[in-house]
Amino acid sequence: MRRQPSQLPLPGFDQARAEWRRAYGEQLPEERPIFNRSGIEIAPLYTPEHFSDERYMDALGFPGHGPMTRGIYPSMHRGRAWSQRQLIGLGVPEDYNRRLKRILASGGTAVSLIPCNSVYRGLDADQVDPLLLGTCGAVVNTVDDMDACFADVAVDELSTAMNDPLPFTLLALLLAVSDRRGIPWTKLTGTSNQSDYISHFVANHMFFRIALPGSRRILIDHIEFTNRHVPGWNPVSVVGQHMQQAGATPAEAMAFTLCTAVQYAEDCIARGMDPDTFLPRFTFFFDISISFFEEIAKFRAGRRIWARIVRQRFGARNPRAARFKFHAQTSGVDLTRQQPYNNIARVTAQAMAGIFGGLQSLHTDAYDEVLSVPTEHAARIAVCTQNILREEAQLGDVIDPLGGSYYLEHLTNETEALIESLIAKVDDAGGMYRAVETGLVQTMIGESAMRFQARVDNGEQTVVGVNKYRLEEDSDARASLKRPSPEKIEAQLESLRQYKKGRDSAAVQRALETLTRVADSENENVYAALVEATIAGATHGEVVAVLRREMGDGEPLIVP
Amino acid sequence: MSTSAQRPYRVLVSKIGLDGHDRGSRIVAAYLRDAGMEVIYTAPWQEVQALVRMASDEDVDLIGISSLATDHLLLPKLLEALRAADLGDLPVVVGGIVPDEDEQALIEAGVRRVFHPGSSRDEIVSTVAALAAEARIQRKTESF
Amino acid sequence: MSVRPAVESWGASDLAARVRAGNRASIARAISTVEAGGKASAELLKALHEATGRARLFGITGAPGVGKSTLVGALIAELRNGYQSVAVIAVDPSSPVTGGAILGDRVRMTQHVEDDGVFIRSLASRGSGGGLSLATSRVAEVLDAAGLENVIIETVGAGQSEIDVIDVADITTVVCAPGLGDDIQAMKAGLLEVADVLVVNKADDPMATLTVNQLESMLALRSDAGRKVPLLKTAARDAVGIPELADALNQAFEKLDQQGRAERRLQRMQRLLATVAGGIVARRLKATRGRRLDQLLTRMAAGELDVETAAVALLKSDVWRQD
Repeated sequence: MRRQPSQLPLPGFDQARAEWRRAYGEQLPEERPIFNRSGIEIAPLYTPEHFSDERYMDALGFPGHGPMTRGIYPSMHRGRAWSQRQLIGLGVPEDYNRRLKRILASGGTAVSLIPCNSVYRGLDADQVDPLLLGTCGAVVNTVDDMDACFADVAVDELSTAMNDPLPFTLLALLLAVSDRRGIPWTKLTGTSNQSDYISHFVANHMFFRIALPGSRRILIDHIEFTNRHVPGWNPVSVVGQHMQQAGATPAEAMAFTLCTAVQYAEDCIARGMDPDTFLPRFTFFFDISISFFEEIAKFRAGRRIWARIVRQRFGARNPRAARFKFHAQTSGVDLTRQQPYNNIARVTAQAMAGIFGGLQSLHTDAYDEVLSVPTEHAARIAVCTQNILREEAQLGDVIDPLGGSYYLEHLTNETEALIESLIAKVDDAGGMYRAVETGLVQTMIGESAMRFQARVDNGEQTVVGVNKYRLEEDSDARASLKRPSPEKIEAQLESLRQYKKGRDSAAVQRALETLTRVADSENENVYAALVEATIAGATHGEVVAVLRREMGDGEPLIVP
Repeated sequence: MSTSAQRPYRVLVSKIGLDGHDRGSRIVAAYLRDAGMEVIYTAPWQEVQALVRMASDEDVDLIGISSLATDHLLLPKLLEALRAADLGDLPVVVGGIVPDEDEQALIEAGVRRVFHPGSSRDEIVSTVAALAAEARIQRKTESF
Repeated sequence: MSVRPAVESWGASDLAARVRAGNRASIARAISTVEAGGKASAELLKALHEATGRARLFGITGAPGVGKSTLVGALIAELRNGYQSVAVIAVDPSSPVTGGAILGDRVRMTQHVEDDGVFIRSLASRGSGGGLSLATSRVAEVLDAAGLENVIIETVGAGQSEIDVIDVADITTVVCAPGLGDDIQAMKAGLLEVADVLVVNKADDPMATLTVNQLESMLALRSDAGRKVPLLKTAARDAVGIPELADALNQAFEKLDQQGRAERRLQRMQRLLATVAGGIVARRLKATRGRRLDQLLTRMAAGELDVETAAVALLKSDVWRQD
C-alpha cells in the first residue's frame, strides 16, 4: 500500500485514508496478501490515487477510437449485440444439418462447424478406429459431406466459423460446395477459427498436422489466397484459448496471443502484403476464466496494446486495422464434475466477465461439458444464459459499464504492464515462432499450470465441490450420452467408399501431383493448389497426407 | 542385498487415440515424479500396439492413460492387447473426462481405476503406488 | 503359465538364456535386474558375459535442446535401412531430492516403436557418482548379449554426466546446435576432448556456419589436435546429413582395430572402477562413525593434516571400519 501523500486535489483525502487504514488494520491485523491468477497483488480498496480522470483521454478515450480501451465500435453491444456462437458438430453430416437447421430456425445467423477429432488429426474416416468416429464432432471428409452439412441452407447468407486448422481443408470443401451451387466465393463470410498453428504447438493440441516451417508457409498462403479470392473471409483467428486452457495465466495468454499476432503480421509483411489490407481481417479467440475482474482487465488491456502495436509497429493507418475483434469462450477448465449444476453459475460469471470485457462473439459452455460431449439440453441452457444476461439483466445497455472503476482501471494498467513485459521477453527470444520452437513459451505455461494446480491442491484456490463445500453423496444428474450408432458410422464409411469410386480419379491424381509439386516449390501458393485438388475431388485426408509427406508431420515440440 | 524393494516404480503415462491435450498428463507425470517414481512419458496419439511394446520394453509397473475426448473408448482394446502379450497383470488406470456410463464398461473391461477431474494429488499418487506395488509383488511371486 | 519372467524366482541362467535368445520381455526384465544392482545383477551379468563384446556401443551427448533425441531417431532409421538392429538407452536425470524422473526421450523415436529390430529403454540417472555409468554399462551389456548390433547411449551433457558416457561407449559423438554460445563455452571444459565425432545439428539454422567455424578453431586448439575429429552438419528433423553421420561412426569404429577396441575396453574398465570405487568410498565414509575416522577428521580440522595426505591415509588404512 502506498504511504506517500496522495497529492490529490481532494480536501481531507489523506487524513481519511490514514484513518481507514488504521481501522482496516485493526480488523485484519494479519491479513495475507491476495494475488490474482496472473500474479498481480490485489489491494482491499482502490481510490482516485490509483486512477484519476486526468488520464482519461490517454488511457480510455471513446469507444471505437484512440486507445480503444472502452471498445472497438462506437455503439458496441447497443448497436449490435454480441453474436451467440455455439459450437456444434456431432455424428455424421446429416446430424449436423439437422441441428444447424434448428439453430437457424430459432433466428441464429452465425454458426460454427466442429469436425470430428479424426478430421482434426488430418485423417479420413477410413483411416481411424470406427469407435471414435463422430463422437466429438461431425465427420466431414468430402465435398459430398460438406454439401450434406449445409443441405437446404444458403451458405452465402451465413457467417460460418469453421473449426478448420491448417491446411484449411474445410474451407476448401466449402468453396467446392459453393462452386457446385453456383455461388461466387466473394459472397461467403466467416472465419477460419483454428488457423493459429502456433497456439496448437504451444498447447500440444491435437490440431497440428504439419511441421512448424510448413505450417508457417501455409498460413501465409491461406491469408494471401482468401484476401484475394474470398474477401469476406477472416483467414486468421489468433487463439489465446488453447494456451490458457493449457495453463497460461490470463496475462500470459493475452501476451502470447499478441506475440503470435505480431509474428503472423510480420510474416505477411515479409511476403509483401500491406498491413492496412490484412490486419482488418485478423480476429482473436480467448478463454474466459472465472477470475472475474482479472478477465475484464485482460481484455481491456489487450485491446489497448493491440491498437498501439498496429499503429506503432506496423504503421497501419486504416482504423479498422486497430480493432481488436474477439470471440471468447467460457473456460471449461473451471468447470467441475462434482455437483455439475454449479457449472451453470460459473458459466454465468465467466460470460459476464467476457461481456464487460467487450467481446464481439461468445460461446457459453454447457454445464455437462466436463462429464461428456455436451447434451442438447445442457447446450440450450448455455444459450439461454446468454439471452438472460443480454435481455433480462440488460448487460449490453451501457458501453464498458465498469470503465472508470478505480479498481478496474488500476488493474487494467497493471495487467497491461505485465503483458508488455511478457511481450518484451518473447521479442528478446527472437519472436514468437522462435520462442515456441525452442520451448520457452511452453516451459513458462507449464510452470504456470503447475503453480495453479498446487494452489488448488493446497486449498489456497477454492474450487467449490472439489476442495471445499464437498458433498459426501454427489448425486446430481449425469448427462446421458448420445453417440452415433455403428450403423450410421458404417453408412458414412460406405458413402466415403462410394465417393471415391464415383469421382474422376485421374483428375484427382493429377491434382494431388500438382499439390506435391507446389509444396516442393519455393514460392507457389500451396493453398491455391489444395483448393484445386479439393475441387477436383480429393478428400480431406488425401490432401493432408500429401502435405505431411512433403512438408513434414507435425510433432510435439516439447515434453515435460 | 535385495534392491527391488527400493527400485522406483516405473509408470508409463500416455495418450491414445486422436486427442492431444496434455495439461492433465503433464501434471500427473510431475506428481508421480515428485513422489519418486520414474515416468516414461510419450507423445500423444499412441497406437494400442505401440503402447504394449513400450510397456513391455520399459518393464513398467503401471500404465496411466489420459483421455479428455472419447479416446477412452479404445481402452478395452488396449487391455485385450496387453493380455494377448501376456501383460494382463499390468494395471491400467485412466484419468480425464469419462462419462459415468462409460466408466462402468471400462471397469468391467479391466481398467483398475478411473480418475475424474478434481481428483486430488494424494489420491492419484497413493492409488498409483498401491497398484504398482501390487503388480510388482504379483510378478515376483508368479511361478511358471 | 506366464512367459513374463519374474526374475527373483528364476535362476540367472534361465533368464540369461532367454535374453540371449532375444526374448523381449526377458531383456526388459533383465535390464531392470541389472539396473537395480546387487547379487541378482552380478549373477545375471556373469551368465551373460560370454555373449557380450559383439555390439558397437555409440555414445551420443550434448546440451539440452540440441536435438539429440531427434538425431538418435534419425540414426535408428538410417541403421535400420542397412538392416542392422539397434538398441537405445535414453538417459535422463533423476531428481536428486525425490529420486523420481520424467523420461521423455522416446517422444522423438515413436516411429520405431513397433519395429522388432529396435529396442528402446529409458533410464533414469538415479543419483550420480558413477552410478549412472555403472548402470548404463550393465544395461548395455544385456542388450549386447541379446544380440543387438548397435547400442546407442543418449545422455544429457549438462554437467558431469556427459563425461560419464565415455566410460561406456566405444565411440562418443558430441552434438551441439547453432546459437547456443554458452554451451560451446562449456564444451571447452572437456566435452571436446572426449568427442570422437562432432555434430552441429539444426544445420538449416542461419547460425550453423558460425558455430561450425567456432568449433573448428576450437578443435585446432586442443591439446591433442593431431587426433582427427570429423565435424558434421545435420538437420535431424529432415534426416539431412544422417547417412554421412552413420558413415563417420562406421569409420571411427573401424579405425579402432581389435587391439584398439580391447584397449578402449580396458580404459573403460579402469574409469568405471575409478568412479565406482570412488562412489563406494564416499558412501561408506558417510555411513561411518568411529574413533579412527574422528581422529583423522580432527587432525584435518586442526590443520595438522592436509586433505591429500589424509585421503592417502584413508585409502591405506581401515578407518571406515566400524569399531
